[in-house]
Amino acid sequence: MTRREILSLAAATGLTELLKAGPPVALFEEIPAAASGITWVHENAMSPERYLPETLGPGCAFLDYDNDGWMDIYLVNSGPSDFYKPSKPLRNALYRNNRDGTFTDVTEEAGVAGGTFGMGVAVGDFDNDGWPDILVTSYGNCLLYKNNHDGTFTDVTKRAGLETPGWTTSAVWFDYDNDGRLDLFLCSFVDYGKTEHLSCGDNKLGRHYYCIPRVFRGTASYLYHNNGDGTFTQAQKGTDIEKSPGKGLGVVATDINNDGLMDLFVANDTVQNFLFVNRGKDKNGKWQFEEMALAAEVGYSDGGRARSGMGVDAADVFNTGYQDLFVANVDQEMFSLYKNLKNETFRDVSHANGVAQSTRLLSGWGLKFFDYDNDGAVDLILSNGHPDDMIENYSAQVHYKEPILLFHQEDGKLRDVSAEAGPAFSKSYPARGLASGDFNNDGLIDILIATNGGAPVLLKNQSAPSNNWVGLKLQGVTCNRDAIGAKIRWSGGGVVRQRLKNNGGSYLSSHDPREVLGVGKAEKLDWIEIAWPKPSGRVQKIENPPLNKYLTITETT
Amino acid sequence: MRFVATLLFFSALAAQGPDDQILKDAISAHQAGNIDAAIGGYEKFLKTHPDTLIALSNLGAAYARVGRYNDAIEQYKHALKLQPGNPQIEMNLALAWYKIGEADEAAPIFEKVHKTALDQLQPAMLLADCWLAMGKNKQVVELLDPYAFDRPDDPGIAYMLGTALVRDNQVSRGQAVIDKILRNGDSAEARLLLGTTKMNAGDFSGARDELAKAVELNPKLPDVYSFYGVALLRTGDTKGAAEAFHKELTSNPNDFNSNLQMAVLFKQDEKFDDAMGYLKRALQIRPGDIGVRYQIASIDFETGKVEEARAALEQMVKEAPQFTEAHVTLATVYYRLKRKADGDRERAIIAQLNAAAQEKQPGVHVK
Repeated sequence: MTRREILSLAAATGLTELLKAGPPVALFEEIPAAASGITWVHENAMSPERYLPETLGPGCAFLDYDNDGWMDIYLVNSGPSDFYKPSKPLRNALYRNNRDGTFTDVTEEAGVAGGTFGMGVAVGDFDNDGWPDILVTSYGNCLLYKNNHDGTFTDVTKRAGLETPGWTTSAVWFDYDNDGRLDLFLCSFVDYGKTEHLSCGDNKLGRHYYCIPRVFRGTASYLYHNNGDGTFTQAQKGTDIEKSPGKGLGVVATDINNDGLMDLFVANDTVQNFLFVNRGKDKNGKWQFEEMALAAEVGYSDGGRARSGMGVDAADVFNTGYQDLFVANVDQEMFSLYKNLKNETFRDVSHANGVAQSTRLLSGWGLKFFDYDNDGAVDLILSNGHPDDMIENYSAQVHYKEPILLFHQEDGKLRDVSAEAGPAFSKSYPARGLASGDFNNDGLIDILIATNGGAPVLLKNQSAPSNNWVGLKLQGVTCNRDAIGAKIRWSGGGVVRQRLKNNGGSYLSSHDPREVLGVGKAEKLDWIEIAWPKPSGRVQKIENPPLNKYLTITETT
Repeated sequence: MRFVATLLFFSALAAQGPDDQILKDAISAHQAGNIDAAIGGYEKFLKTHPDTLIALSNLGAAYARVGRYNDAIEQYKHALKLQPGNPQIEMNLALAWYKIGEADEAAPIFEKVHKTALDQLQPAMLLADCWLAMGKNKQVVELLDPYAFDRPDDPGIAYMLGTALVRDNQVSRGQAVIDKILRNGDSAEARLLLGTTKMNAGDFSGARDELAKAVELNPKLPDVYSFYGVALLRTGDTKGAAEAFHKELTSNPNDFNSNLQMAVLFKQDEKFDDAMGYLKRALQIRPGDIGVRYQIASIDFETGKVEEARAALEQMVKEAPQFTEAHVTLATVYYRLKRKADGDRERAIIAQLNAAAQEKQPGVHVK
């Protein structure tokens, strides 16, 4: 066929406009540091000895620390530890959103530079004052920065009683006892030793390598109860959380059985995952969590093997009214998408959704269920990278830097659309943390990825600007201020959809707290219904909300 | 490696009565390649003459010819009770064990035959293959070195010796043997050797490339598609792997690995009936194989036959108390059956097994 024939055929079929438009726009565009102003680079502290904490970080967060309605960015760095003395000062970074696509480093004036060997970040309004506070997990000790409402923060870790020894990774704020205050779950990784550390000797190259976490003993994670006076009390004692030593890397707070009590799904490395189902108070008045991953069939692989769980998330992927779960593992183990069978058990449907096939050679960390194109259906992004920087020397098919994957939901199934998503998805990164957030307030959720020993990757979503949406900033009054645990339903285009406001998820990272509700091409949203979490329990309905803008919804009292 | 069981002729048999004629007809049918008729005849004859050596032995050979190796083994065992040490029947028995992958059963017989016929290559090669499967790589090198010296251009010996050397970490010597094979021209056998060697070393993409060449050079080489399928699977090409296993099974329906892998692939796609078909075949090839039984039990569990799964898994953990995966699935089954105490007991066993495995992990403490 000649060019003339092609053009005449195109004209006949109405394709000339498409031909004129040029190549399709990438679904996500990588914003370079020169354009965003984010020049901070992670220092992974990689040493010839290959201490394991070097390869696990870092995390990242979208947060609106100054409450101006624009998402700012927080990035976690390594720092001094018992095995590492930095040759130059290292710090975490807080970048203020300049509302024009650029960011300004405000770390020093904000007072959130860290100073520990940082791992992850969890943002939450623990004191219900309407201003987000920042928790930084670490190898060594975690940090709690209280927001002073003036662009600065105060380190209140000690005063709050949150000094936590050992090695903490992902963390999540959630109100487990529905008292209206955010409590805290801290994943504890392995027992890495206090004065000495394990060495696994040399690899085939005659060099030290990162020990597989299998060689370390597991540790129990921490549950801190918020006392409401700025202090916390360890509450895991006597619960299955204390009785379950694991190697926690990822956690999401969700409600798997719709009983109004937030549960926890924890990804563990080389041992079974945990599903801590919140059972409320026992007969002695003690709040109990039942660890039931084995019974729920989310603890091990289909073949009964413990895997290397890292990133997790939860969402009502298939719009059934129940929360489904996801866990990412290392290469050859494949990732799992667990469909909720509505009876506290799950079925792994990762093969049926193409997830297992796409992830066989990958090691997954940060990940997120989100509706990237605002068509109303839940999609998925996965960031990847092998933990061993020398892996390519002894495995030709696995790489240290790995591609990001994007899945789009179509006809009730996820489909790998990475090949169509743009140049950023054909590149490879040593990805770790991943946060979702709408940094330019266009209603399309953007992505921030933290890389190990590298610069963060900011991906601007430009997938479906013509789809309609409504953004919600929920403000609890009697329930927790962040409204974690709220149930949102909305009707548009003849479809009723629902979402639970989970918290946590991904890996070492924290997300834009706002919820964007996609309605696709529907030109009207009939109503939105908010069921606030207890102790409120109120249901609030908003009729005919305006489209394509963010709304602040405050709990009516 | 393809070897055929020897058929015992009974030329001296004179038909004295109707039953003897049945046996004679069966032998004739067997010789003419009409195996189904031969099996029918032997079986009929044995009903009235159960201790007839020739009928037992030939029925074993006929079963083996159609892939019913376990039935063949039963006949050979019976025959050997009548005439212990019969070298031909022992060899046939060993070949049947060998065909179903029971190398540890076959090896002692091959070793015995080999010692009585040191100048013959075939028993040595069969023994070497069994030892390879059993991981006795050093013994394979010792066994084959003299034959390799006498027959420097034999690609079969070089292939097996090269494999053993590489697996025994005598890499430079192994590489020299492989290079010698390649110098004599590219061959499917050499590529298969390189492919499996790379696979053992965890280099799945390297293995995939070598095995692709092996397939190209000789698609009929036994096991080549089976290994190629595994390499494709481990490098992320599930569809290609399924096609490879299917091709292996087209030429060799009794390939255990391909049957098992096909079952796992169908199970992943929740096509449980298809998976079950392959698992039953795999279980015919290796009766009692605990890996296959575990897969069947997990499908039973998935498809609601929870009691069947429970019974099978309980038996498995009795037979193999260290089989952690079976304990995991059994615990899940108990929880599904609301037998929490039993589930918790299994869970405790899993914790113990994991703790024991943890203790065996390498690593030294350093400051």
